[in-house]
Amino acid sequence: MEALLRVEDLQLHFRTAAGTVRAVDGVHLEVGRGRTVAVLGESGCGKTSLARALLRLLPRNVAHYSGRVVLDGQDLMALSEERFRQEVRWVRLSLVPQAAMNSLNPVLRVGDQVAEPLWLHGRVRSAAQARAHVEEALRRVGVPAEFADRYPFELSGGMRQRVAIAMALILRPSLVILDEPTSALDVLTQANLLNLLKSLRWELQTSFLLITHDVATASELADDVALMYAGQIVEFGPADRFLRDPLHPYARALRASVVSLREDRTPQPLPGRPPSLLNPPPGCRFADRCPSRFAPCEDPPPLVTAEGGSRVLCWLYAPEAPRVR
Amino acid sequence: MSGDALLEVRDLATWYELRRWGFVHQGWVRAVDGVSLQLRDGEAVAVVGESGCGKSTLAKTLLGLARPLRGEVRFEGRPLVSREDWRRYRRRVGYVQQDPYGALPPFMTVRRILEEPLVVNGVASPAERRARVLESLEAVQLVPPQEFLSRFPHMLSGGQQQRLVVARATILRPRLLVADEPVSMLDASVRVEVLQVLRGLQQRNRLAVVYITHDLSTVRHFCERVLVMYAGKLVEQAAVEDLLRDPKHPYSQALLSAIPDPDPENARRLRPVPAGEPPSLVRPPSGCRFHPRCPHAIPGVCDRQQPPDFEVRPGQVAACWLYEGAPVAAAASARGEGEPS
Repeated sequence: MEALLRVEDLQLHFRTAAGTVRAVDGVHLEVGRGRTVAVLGESGCGKTSLARALLRLLPRNVAHYSGRVVLDGQDLMALSEERFRQEVRWVRLSLVPQAAMNSLNPVLRVGDQVAEPLWLHGRVRSAAQARAHVEEALRRVGVPAEFADRYPFELSGGMRQRVAIAMALILRPSLVILDEPTSALDVLTQANLLNLLKSLRWELQTSFLLITHDVATASELADDVALMYAGQIVEFGPADRFLRDPLHPYARALRASVVSLREDRTPQPLPGRPPSLLNPPPGCRFADRCPSRFAPCEDPPPLVTAEGGSRVLCWLYAPEAPRVR
Repeated sequence: MSGDALLEVRDLATWYELRRWGFVHQGWVRAVDGVSLQLRDGEAVAVVGESGCGKSTLAKTLLGLARPLRGEVRFEGRPLVSREDWRRYRRRVGYVQQDPYGALPPFMTVRRILEEPLVVNGVASPAERRARVLESLEAVQLVPPQEFLSRFPHMLSGGQQQRLVVARATILRPRLLVADEPVSMLDASVRVEVLQVLRGLQQRNRLAVVYITHDLSTVRHFCERVLVMYAGKLVEQAAVEDLLRDPKHPYSQALLSAIPDPDPENARRLRPVPAGEPPSLVRPPSGCRFHPRCPHAIPGVCDRQQPPDFEVRPGQVAACWLYEGAPVAAAASARGEGEPS
């Protein structure tokens, strides 16, 4: 079956005083219908820039923006800015921004903010109609309908996060990007919110692209995991495989560095730091920190499809390179 | 009270006053409300709780940065009463802040940042200062130390910045270190390295550590004991292994069940956690503060009477009526209540 979203060789570079920052640098990725893909990576690896590139929410200092983004068979990169705004953004592809609870407008009532996309896209004709939609949307995310009359400061962080989710879902898009939806919340609130996202997935059949730095959060929602490192996806495959037996050396090191509550092992810190995105090394970007580094790593690694359907950007799995482990 | 405790806190309360127009009394925020705890020499203890439970206020009170309204604090067996007592005490306590970038002055080099506490506290000889600076950089694994001396904070990675904060907090060789969420702003992959540095310092120097965190999963490898805090009160105190294996208080049970491990099964089931949110600290619920969210609340008991600390097994104490009949822990007696005049 054709994937809902297919991203091919997506690039987004920014111009800065220090030079060109290659925040997204050749990303390949698919999101299946009704599936959730977690984009997992450390801060500064380009995962939020990836979300911006998909939604075309670009800042002014873009140096280079190219690649193919195919949603439901349609190449979005070919669309004009105006058509993208009218037909794609929020209608078919929406976003719950990072720290969404602080992204609500403080001087508008919650209900009016949630209704805004309905008015802008001509889905409602009267205030009563909008109100009915809003109340249903709020109820779906576990917010009492009367909260529509409140201002954001009258709601707790968890409730505001739910409002932001209601807003992203109101036009029933086929894909929602969740940028670190739980990172600023408390553990119990986080667990409640992840429970909500799970039930929404099962109920609405919406696809999610979950952006997170936390392996455990990814395991709560993901069908597939895309591991991002220094602007590239270095491993992409089913979550079961990724969580039990990852392939890329970075994935293994990251997995070993995670502090876990129940597992009986001492976590191992990951030495070194990611390379600068200003002048990334020409070969494998993880080579400097990699325990399995060998001669071919000086050259850009190939994208290899391993057994089990995972794709990995690493010389270790290339058939033509000598296998040294 | 036992003699070998480094720090003993009894019935500590730190409330903040709410005022309208700056002077009309509106009520009290009971951030820390009757906390008793003991810390042995060289022991690492975690205080775990959600935001707004009062754990940072507890840290500030232990650092002498917030004034307790009532209660007793004893350090090395002597009560802290006068301003001078607190001043002397503060020199022996180190503070690791949550946000390393905000805690380090951006215009000072690493060397000046580390020398400052030495200068303030009268280490006069430049040669000795230099030796102590190098030594403390090495202790937090910023090696080779000479290379770091002339750098500014922005030239360090997040993990390195936080290790520098740890170096600054320990350069005066304190007996006690209070670390308020030291790794919550860092990436998952560098959290471990900072926690290991803290653990190493604690064990090598017999340093007592109060580790404030909302993340139970980091507690296991870095502490001996855990105190669970909810709405201004400690609800459970236990050795790490006991708490993780067999949490007694329903709130501790909820906290544990809310924390995911990276397991692919997670995506296929909902997590059993109580709904709702922590209560207001201005008007906390009557009786046990967790009762409105508690799945085991006993009507007529939990909503009326505050539970004392029941000792459910040696060293594990839970403030919960479910354990009525177990002996009441000694430190829990003599609890002051009521508002100050």
